[in-house]
Amino acid sequence: MIRLSGIRKAYGKTLALNELELEVREGEFFCLLGPSGAGKTTTLKTIAGLEQPDSGTVVLDGEDMRGVEPYDRGVAMCFESYALYPHRSAYDNLASPLRSPRHRLPADEARQRIGAIAELLGISGLLDRPVGQLSNGQRQRVALGRVLVRPARAFLLDEPLSHLDAKLRQQMRAELKAIGAVQHTTTLYVTHDSVEALALGDRIGVIRQGRIVQTGTREEIWYRPHDTEVARAFGRPRINLLPGVVTESGVRADGGVELPVRARAAPGTEVLVGLRPRDIALHGGEGHELTGTVYVTEVLGRSVEVTVRLGSGEQRVSLVAARADAARLRADDPVRLVVRPENLLLFEADRPERPGRRIETES
Amino acid sequence: MKKRLAGWLCDAALVLYFVFALFPIAWMVILSLKPTDQLFSTYFSFSPTLDGYRTVLGDSEGIPFVRFFVNSLVVSVGAVVLSLVVGLPAAYASARWRFKGSENLMFTLLSFRFAPELTVIIPLFVLYQKLGLFDTYVGMVWVLQLVTLPLIVWIMRSYFADLTPELEQAALLDGYTRKQAFFRVALPLVKPGVAAVSLLAFIFAWNNFVFPLILTSNEAQTVTVGALSFLGGDRPKYNLTAAAALVSVVPPLLLALTIQRYLVRGLSFGAVKS
Repeated sequence: MIRLSGIRKAYGKTLALNELELEVREGEFFCLLGPSGAGKTTTLKTIAGLEQPDSGTVVLDGEDMRGVEPYDRGVAMCFESYALYPHRSAYDNLASPLRSPRHRLPADEARQRIGAIAELLGISGLLDRPVGQLSNGQRQRVALGRVLVRPARAFLLDEPLSHLDAKLRQQMRAELKAIGAVQHTTTLYVTHDSVEALALGDRIGVIRQGRIVQTGTREEIWYRPHDTEVARAFGRPRINLLPGVVTESGVRADGGVELPVRARAAPGTEVLVGLRPRDIALHGGEGHELTGTVYVTEVLGRSVEVTVRLGSGEQRVSLVAARADAARLRADDPVRLVVRPENLLLFEADRPERPGRRIETES
Repeated sequence: MKKRLAGWLCDAALVLYFVFALFPIAWMVILSLKPTDQLFSTYFSFSPTLDGYRTVLGDSEGIPFVRFFVNSLVVSVGAVVLSLVVGLPAAYASARWRFKGSENLMFTLLSFRFAPELTVIIPLFVLYQKLGLFDTYVGMVWVLQLVTLPLIVWIMRSYFADLTPELEQAALLDGYTRKQAFFRVALPLVKPGVAAVSLLAFIFAWNNFVFPLILTSNEAQTVTVGALSFLGGDRPKYNLTAAAALVSVVPPLLLALTIQRYLVRGLSFGAVKS
């Protein structure tokens, strides 16, 4: 269990962590998602004791970690820069924790564990090589192995898959959670890739400018995003956000597009209506009907991203349709779109100082 | 055609410079091989003999040159070793942590290098007389810290600063203490730097003239001062001085040759993602 409360950390004048609150439950796989510079790595280093917070407390398994040295915290961390010992072989890098005074294992037992981990990560053939001769992807796997090879209170993984090629990344992503050590150990996984976060995280935390904006399961993050930024961060193509105003009966988006969403907000409030591209049907189905003309289509493989002009033309929405359904569409063809009112999200209009928060709807 | 001419001119210039640079050494070699009676002849006569070297290394003429040579070795090696023991942790600490007054401390250390030795030599002489350090190994090793320590601390500091701290952080999380992280991770990675700076410090210590001139008389005297003693007496024996000087070039030269491969090796080889 990891609990951070009120963590503040400044480097000179820049505030890296701003009253950060975070709780990772025992045995959980928690993904921390945020853009670069949001404070993800600083958060991990604070937990590991490599950075001292200016204020706030770090609690591991119910123990306050104030004044506890990194080597006594019992956490293992995978650095984004790998931080492999360049003067040693891959094997010696993996063996390093098992030779340390705190996690020492007899040599043959250590050899077995290293063999098993190397097998798991597909680096068995590379163990004799100096790390300088490994590719970035191989180094990254050695770095991950150095974490998994020993028991720990918690694994802290800083973008551990970012330098693998796409195919290997997908494969490792699938395998990572199946690894026994990972299943039993509280894991905090940092990434800037929302797909990775959705695929891996039991729960997800979204961090922005040194604060946790929202934590929740993937469903909570997906269906009840805290604000427009969180909504934009998840899902490709991005969520459609249509500006409009609250009326008595729903929302009138700009360009005269009426949407049947009942906001808990006074009429006249400026809002953004969120529509996920995959929640918009191109051909019929039940729900609210919108008419428009095709603006552009883009083939994504088996599916097609269609951008449609709505109403008088200044509103555009993207949607994803099966290739068969969209094959005959040409620019300026008229189309009818169907949305289900319960899939509509409503946000306050974005302001310069902060993105618009989600508004509860009644359906 | 033009290019070729430029190449030729360039080569000629290099040869010219080469001759210019090597001339004093060649002159010394010739001088050291001359018999005593040809030293002051006004015509060119040269019948090479190793008598000069025999005299210098045989301690004849009443000048214990071999002892000076050993003194130089002991004092220079001692100074470098002491500076490494003290300086490497200091360099590491100053590269990794800022503490109150750390920059002032580092600057003070550096100032030992650019302040002329002569400004402190008189008070040092008095101190050494009073403390009984005059003309002793300990005294010489100590005073040479003014030469070797700043060099080692400042150069090693930049080597340590170039290492990413994440390597030691990884060692801490692997379960090693800070001391173990220093010895097992940081130090092995700056080995080429240690070799280079040790050589440099050794040469500076070996070549130092002012400190042994004032702070030693006989027991702890070094070659730089010792070689001059051949110039005393009824007539200066330049051939012996030349031979002594050439002999004293040998240790730094040998040292440089043995650790040459460290001097050219790059620092970081794949520690971090590129």
